[in-house]
Amino acid sequence: MRLGPENATLTVRTGKTGAAAKAGHDLLIEVAEWSATLDLQAGTARLTADSRSLRVLEGSGGIQSLGEDDKASIKESIDSEVLKGGAIAFTASQVSGSGDGALTLSGELDLLGTRRPLTVTLSTGPDGRLSGNATIKQTDWGMKPFSTLFGTLKVADEVHVAIERRHDG
Amino acid sequence: MVELDHPFQTGKGIEENWQLVTDLERVIPCVEGGKVLERTAPDTVRAEIKVKMGAMSMTFTGTVQVVEQDESAHQTVLRVKSREAGGQGHANADVRFSLGDGGGTVHTSAKITGKAASMGEGVVQSVLDALIKDFTDRLATQ
Repeated sequence: MRLGPENATLTVRTGKTGAAAKAGHDLLIEVAEWSATLDLQAGTARLTADSRSLRVLEGSGGIQSLGEDDKASIKESIDSEVLKGGAIAFTASQVSGSGDGALTLSGELDLLGTRRPLTVTLSTGPDGRLSGNATIKQTDWGMKPFSTLFGTLKVADEVHVAIERRHDG
Repeated sequence: MVELDHPFQTGKGIEENWQLVTDLERVIPCVEGGKVLERTAPDTVRAEIKVKMGAMSMTFTGTVQVVEQDESAHQTVLRVKSREAGGQGHANADVRFSLGDGGGTVHTSAKITGKAASMGEGVVQSVLDALIKDFTDRLATQ
């Protein structure tokens, strides 16, 4: 099975923390360029993503609503200060199922040159629906969560990644 | 009203510290995002501070005036009166420096209104505390 922007979405949700967390936004970020293959019979899966293709879809919370300029500025920060064009690749070496459509992919995520184990949960439905979720703790991959406002507003260490195949995909 | 006290170290002599904090053109840029726009009187400048919050920022523009200056006691008070650019908020403060050899203390009495204040006094206090700590760290590098 091949997945990519043509038949699925790959998104990242971030939260915020710190004394001034109220000032910041929870972000929904889309990865625009990526591809994945999933071979259930062979028990393998691989996903690669272009770390410069992230773009902010929406932001909630905060003391001011996010405008298009703000979203573009966040993208610039992601590209230049957070991901810096580094590699993103997940390779699963084991796929296990529980029989109710739920699958667990166990493998390694190479994030900006650091490889660490990652588990992705997948659920599938008879209509071809497929959705997957993983939680990535940035510091586990040697990343320093983005911080601003003199360190009182930070992106939460854990970010949530979701993959969703569209019904018509 | 938020009241904050910060001791700070510069490693410099008392006279050098005095020269620094009484020179508005040198001390205001020690606040991150702060700059002097123009001198309007011998003891007053027009200034702005741009507070970055990630992609967004809030800019306050107003005056900084030396309202007390006791050279023998090495104490001075700067009065900040500012208004949020494009908004209804204000950021006003009296900043009292008491200097000694090697550093000193800064006492800040601040009143913030508008969008920034809508985060709550505890948040405003935390941000101001971090801003002034950053400011005093920069004083040491002057």
